[in-house]
Amino acid sequence: MEKQSGNGKIGAVLVVGGGVGGIQAALDLAESGYYVYLVEKSPSIGGVMAQLDKTFPTNDCSMCILSPKLVEVASHQNVRLLTYTEIKSINGEAGNFNVKLRKKATYVDWEKCTGCGVCSEWCPVVMKSEFNTGLGPRRAIYTPFPQAVPKKYVIDKEEERLCHAACRDACPLHMNVPGYIKLIAEGQDEEAYGLIRATNPLPAICGRICYAPCQEACNRGQIDEPLAIRDLKRFVTDYSDIEKLEVPTVEPSGKSVAIIGAGPAGLVAAHDLALKGHKAVIFEALPKPGGMLQVGIPEYRLPKELVRKEIEYITKLGVEIKTGVEIGKHISLGELRREFNAIFLGIGAHQGMELKVPGEDLPGVVQGVEFLRNVNLGKKVRVGRKVAVIGGGNTALDCARTAKRLGAEEVTILYRRTRAEMPASVEEIDAAEAEGIKIEFLVAPGRFVGNKRLSKIELIRMKLGAPDASGRPRPVPVAGSEFELSVNSVIAALGQAAKTDFVKELCISLSKRGTIEVNPGTGATNIEGVFAGGDAVTGPAFVVDAMAAGRRAARSIDAFLRGIPLPVEERAEPQKLTAEEIQRLKNRFGESSQHKMAEVPVEQRGGFGEVTLGYSTQEACKEAERCLAGQVTGCIQCLECVDRCEAKAIDHSMKDTFEEVKVGAVVFAGGYECYNPSELYELGYGRLPNVVTSIEFERILSASGPFQGVLQRLSDGVPPQKIAFIQCVGSRDAKHNRPYCSSVCCTYAIKEAMIAKEHSTVPLDVTIFFMDLRTYGKDFDRYYERARDEIGVRFVRSKVYSVEAVDSTGDLVVKFTTEDGAIKREKFSMVVLSVGFQSSPELVKLAKQVGIQLNPYGFCQTKPFSPVETSKPGIFVCGAFSAPKDIPETVMQASGAAGEISAFLASARNTLTKERVYPPEKDVAGEEPRIGVFICHCGINIGGYVNVPDATEFAKTLPNVVYAERNLFTCSQDTQERIKKVIEEYKLNRVVVASCTPRTHEPLFRETIRKAGLNPYLFEMANIRDQCSWVHMREPDKATEKAKDLIRMAVAKARLIEPLKPLSLPVNRSALVIGGGVAGMTSALTLAEQGFEVHLIERSNVLGGVARRIHYNLDGEDVQQFLGQLIKKVQKHPKIRVYTDTWIVDVHGYVGNFTTEIMRYRGRVIEKIDHGVTIIATGAEEYKPDEYLWGRDPRVLTQLELEEEIVKKNPDMINCDNLVMIQCVGCRNDERPYCSRVCCNEAIKNALKLREMKPDMNIYILYRDMRTYGFYEEYYEEARRKGIIFLHFDLEDKPRVRQERKGGQLLLRVQVKDKVLGDEIVIDADFLVLSVAMVSSPDVRELAMLYKVPVNEDGFFLEAHVKLRPVDFATEGVFVCGLAHAPKSLEESIAQAKAAASRATTILVKDAIIGEGIVASVNEELCSGCGVCEVLCPYGAIAVDREKGVSAVNEALCKGCGTCCAACPSGAVQQRGFTRQEISAMLSAALAGV
Amino acid sequence: MTVALSELDTKFKYDVANEPGGENIKLCFACGLCTASCPVADIDQKFNPRRIIRMVLLGMRKEVLSSDTIWFCIQCYNCQGHCPQNVDFADIMKALRSIAVREGHVAPSFVEKIKEIDVFCQKLRHEMVSEIVDSRSRGTEVEPSGLAMEALKRL
Repeated sequence: MEKQSGNGKIGAVLVVGGGVGGIQAALDLAESGYYVYLVEKSPSIGGVMAQLDKTFPTNDCSMCILSPKLVEVASHQNVRLLTYTEIKSINGEAGNFNVKLRKKATYVDWEKCTGCGVCSEWCPVVMKSEFNTGLGPRRAIYTPFPQAVPKKYVIDKEEERLCHAACRDACPLHMNVPGYIKLIAEGQDEEAYGLIRATNPLPAICGRICYAPCQEACNRGQIDEPLAIRDLKRFVTDYSDIEKLEVPTVEPSGKSVAIIGAGPAGLVAAHDLALKGHKAVIFEALPKPGGMLQVGIPEYRLPKELVRKEIEYITKLGVEIKTGVEIGKHISLGELRREFNAIFLGIGAHQGMELKVPGEDLPGVVQGVEFLRNVNLGKKVRVGRKVAVIGGGNTALDCARTAKRLGAEEVTILYRRTRAEMPASVEEIDAAEAEGIKIEFLVAPGRFVGNKRLSKIELIRMKLGAPDASGRPRPVPVAGSEFELSVNSVIAALGQAAKTDFVKELCISLSKRGTIEVNPGTGATNIEGVFAGGDAVTGPAFVVDAMAAGRRAARSIDAFLRGIPLPVEERAEPQKLTAEEIQRLKNRFGESSQHKMAEVPVEQRGGFGEVTLGYSTQEACKEAERCLAGQVTGCIQCLECVDRCEAKAIDHSMKDTFEEVKVGAVVFAGGYECYNPSELYELGYGRLPNVVTSIEFERILSASGPFQGVLQRLSDGVPPQKIAFIQCVGSRDAKHNRPYCSSVCCTYAIKEAMIAKEHSTVPLDVTIFFMDLRTYGKDFDRYYERARDEIGVRFVRSKVYSVEAVDSTGDLVVKFTTEDGAIKREKFSMVVLSVGFQSSPELVKLAKQVGIQLNPYGFCQTKPFSPVETSKPGIFVCGAFSAPKDIPETVMQASGAAGEISAFLASARNTLTKERVYPPEKDVAGEEPRIGVFICHCGINIGGYVNVPDATEFAKTLPNVVYAERNLFTCSQDTQERIKKVIEEYKLNRVVVASCTPRTHEPLFRETIRKAGLNPYLFEMANIRDQCSWVHMREPDKATEKAKDLIRMAVAKARLIEPLKPLSLPVNRSALVIGGGVAGMTSALTLAEQGFEVHLIERSNVLGGVARRIHYNLDGEDVQQFLGQLIKKVQKHPKIRVYTDTWIVDVHGYVGNFTTEIMRYRGRVIEKIDHGVTIIATGAEEYKPDEYLWGRDPRVLTQLELEEEIVKKNPDMINCDNLVMIQCVGCRNDERPYCSRVCCNEAIKNALKLREMKPDMNIYILYRDMRTYGFYEEYYEEARRKGIIFLHFDLEDKPRVRQERKGGQLLLRVQVKDKVLGDEIVIDADFLVLSVAMVSSPDVRELAMLYKVPVNEDGFFLEAHVKLRPVDFATEGVFVCGLAHAPKSLEESIAQAKAAASRATTILVKDAIIGEGIVASVNEELCSGCGVCEVLCPYGAIAVDREKGVSAVNEALCKGCGTCCAACPSGAVQQRGFTRQEISAMLSAALAGV
Repeated sequence: MTVALSELDTKFKYDVANEPGGENIKLCFACGLCTASCPVADIDQKFNPRRIIRMVLLGMRKEVLSSDTIWFCIQCYNCQGHCPQNVDFADIMKALRSIAVREGHVAPSFVEKIKEIDVFCQKLRHEMVSEIVDSRSRGTEVEPSGLAMEALKRL
């Protein structure tokens, strides 16, 4: 991207958080000429709003209203969506920040992923879905929810670190141990066998005799005992039949490899090479293949039948084994080198080491390897009565146990060190001793004695000395300790060596020890094309090491044969856990011990039958369940997804990537987390299944939730009959460090209560237990009343003490007290805890790194006059991260932050953004339609049910179709390229896609054909997914027929469609702001600072509005000082023209081109102002009460009047003794059923101010619900702390005020019933202050008519959408902010004013506005000018031209809704893109199949 | 009943707040959790912690200090453990009791008697529980009423 100068500022913005706030900020900024990085830590954007079922107060489906926003932001060319990404750091300063990002590995290549979801269907790992709050499952490979954006999959390996899978790292074959263990635990034995075989061609063998380094590394071993991994592997092979295993077909490479030695190294090398298509021929000197597996390991440890079967399978792959062929004797190495393309030497070490002790050649002294070989090959071998075995390795033990089985009565192992140094495995030593074999430690033979035949050994005692080269203590003879042992046979098992002399023929270099020297990473010898591995290279080692060497060599040989560089194997060392991690694992999983395999009892072990008996299925499952990986990790690397993914998108080797971006500003829109109420024991969450949180309940209610929207409780799935909501859980709770109010819970509880009652299949009672009902938002009180009076939700003013189980039914008893003190116990079938907001720890961490100031609860600190600024310049905030708030306020703040940034970065606008560039549009007019049809399989989504090939052939037969093809995924990036190519190649002029829904995909395909030079409207879509494969899954034939019908209809329409040209309208880049209060002035200034001309209209003769009467706020800030500065800035700004004493007379035009007529100087002057946008900020007024003696007794004031008296320091006022305030005067009643939102805070503000002046003044606040939402709650607490008394009353029992004569005085007597005491309280007030309603200004309706915008029942302007478009009107180009929209605080007005400016900016920055192509058009010849269309059009876009007598469409205003077309009695109005002919053609096509 | 605030001692709440234990009384927002959680209120609904707090806040000095109810609290601290505003009602009871003694609403010996009752109740409970535990180990039926008599006799 080209970087241009922006006065040193960077024209890009980082938005932190992909919830609704982040999305709105990103869209506004991108539309205003800034490049946006939208960073979200989870795989999809959407935030908490995506999890909600419905939204209040309209009960709209949350996802339905959010989804288009998700698609819009994701497809914006100036937004880079960075999901699954974390921010490591933000450094720099305002205008120029450096942001370090960590893009978490998704393990799925998103360029390739089509979102088909097949991987997820096959993934064996079931985890809890975060989206469904853990109530439903998801897989380890997943996308969070069906409408996720981007619709891409990720693999969850987040917790893998906890386990490290040290077993896998320790295994020389790098076997996927956690994978197959998990599958065993889940009873998927067949899959487990497949996974084992994927890395190990000899699993039955390894399942018995592997030394299992995996077990040594197993992390469980650090907690208690390692997992019995080897035994579990054996279990799987015991239950699998290798003889039935499928043999893959492989394309032959034509290359051949000679392999010397049919031991484990040679067999694995041959196996791997065969799978690569190379011909492998194994030459084996012994009569049977298998090497040491065949001749070294006794039958009782490894049944030879298993060896035979596993080798047999390898030969089925095409490997040839020639036994009895000795190299150097029957054939020379040179000959092999000429005949084959490569050689592998895997000759093993079969030569026994000499003891170098006198008498060694006596009959009766034999070599261990030879002894075992002879026994294993079935030769007759006799041993004496008393046998001594010399050595301490596994071979020595094998010899001893074999000798015992051959009939020796007394077998003694002689070892020169102690037990601790014995190289043999512990189990072998234990087993030998159990079988009665004696082991003599610290003893060495000095001489074998015998006459012709061995009769005794002279032995000498040893002691341990200094360590030798092997690191073990060197045994040193103890002088004079000689003794004798009488024996008949001695088996020497000191070790083996390779017989390597024959390799000298090729000059292969050998070590001093006589082993073959190779490159350890590749297995290559010094001679090209000759490779080696196994014991011949390493000296005697373990089977699995030899196998790994064979694999390494095979990989190298394959590369060698292909002529590419040899890959060097990199090995990860198994990591040890830290002490802290071990403790964490212990705490989490507790301790358990290994389940041992059953063994044949010692007394029955006479023959060579296998000693261990293997696991039963149940035992294996139990043992496998001990695996930590299975419990803590997501992905188990079974690689099923790799096999299933048709797009080949899965890449398990992916790593996190790091990136640095530069931005000019940052918006923190990180949202919040829900409080986890487990610590509140009495409320039962976590211990009673039918106590759920409100967010869980939201998922329970949701149609896309775990129960498909069927309301039920968790314990038994039964629909609840009685639900209790408990409010303020984790809010207004100083005890648990959450003293603030979470602002939205009251209203969301009402919503959930209403929806639950609507959803329920049984009659449902719902009770909401609350302290103060805080429905303070626009229209929320009406919502509350509707819930209570119409829907029948019961409200109880009480904080619930406890929730307990009654009995085993799952029902719950809620204990609470009513206001009069009665203690109640009431039974419910389910309890919902309305949990509060808390800030997310990650966000707090980032904020601290960045250095922005937080409040004590981890929320971002802002100032009242700069509500979207953090303490750090250039960094802004919106949404719940600054304080708990609902969606519209979040959206307002998001736009507000965008407005602020837009002004701040104005000099860098459009420096980093890009425009879409298209090739010139082809003229297809007059051309015969040439239609291309693309039919989508959508993986198996459509292809699994609809016969796509059949449908494709059918499409080819349709008239004008010149081309048809089917795609696995028509929406994938590569298919877009393909469509463009096909359009070129076949000269297509119409395109039809039969796939999913146009709602999500039509813009994409239109864009594609536009890029190929076609008008985007030359496109038609058939939805064969939703309408065929989804709804007719069980009737594939009918689904296919219906798909054909839909394709026929789409093609029929496509033949008639014409290119459409949307109107392009110029934009007048100036704004008109109506209202000179704080909101209007703030909007004006935000726009003017970006260089736009602003006309600010004010009716009165001064700027300032209602704020002129406010002097201080709760935070103690001086409002007048702020206001004065604001007015000065506005008046001085060269781009702002202020018109005071000015009235609006008339308005013409539409977005981009308004003309407003104004009247000035009391009608003496009428002026016209041309402007592109309009912002309405006409404010509101204080209600003038006729209740409570206001206006009749000078001691009765409103809050604003009180404030004036306070500022004047009226001595009567500030020295009074008793002052009473009454809340909700003139509102929340029948006449004005809304809450004025600010009065509770205003009352507290003034009360605190008075107390400051006279600390012992008695102040009584009589309230209905204290609505000190968010962090205002702190001031409510402060007021109580200062001794201000709060008394609650109900609407039905309002306070009474009267004047009463007493003595010479006229008392102002306030009487109210105290609900707690049950008594009437009488207060003789010195002053009575009324917190009165806020009412709209009188000219609202007139203004609304002029700008064609709506007003609600209460006289406040009605925004386009209460949730997502809080400052827009349905009429484009007109915006609203401040009190004209609804009662709100100064702080909120300022944020909304900036938001309105931001929304206006998105229009003002454009050169032109592109209209909709699908608009109505009038056939003037048919039009009778009846005007029906004009009356019905909701946008005022069609009107009868009085001169011509026919209707005319204003395309700039038309939204293409089609109402006029449907209504027109003469058929004169047609909708472009949906003409009568087009629709008729589709209908005829639909019926053609009947 | 009508309560005329002009006849009350509106400064009472400050006196209580100045007494050790009474510091947080003014923080109460009358949610009622103290009452709902109170085991005494459970058996005698005349004992209503929220009401006592309200009386203090309004200045009903005489009514509170001379009432029986302030002596009913068993100091189990359940209210204190749950109060979302940390009003610390159990400690407030202590504060009110000491003011009541100081201002002569009860004699100091009364307080001693209350202490004895508390100790006696504890002992009684202890005896009864031991009895149940013992009888369970003997495998016989538990007769709580009889047990109470027996325990009382032993005390």
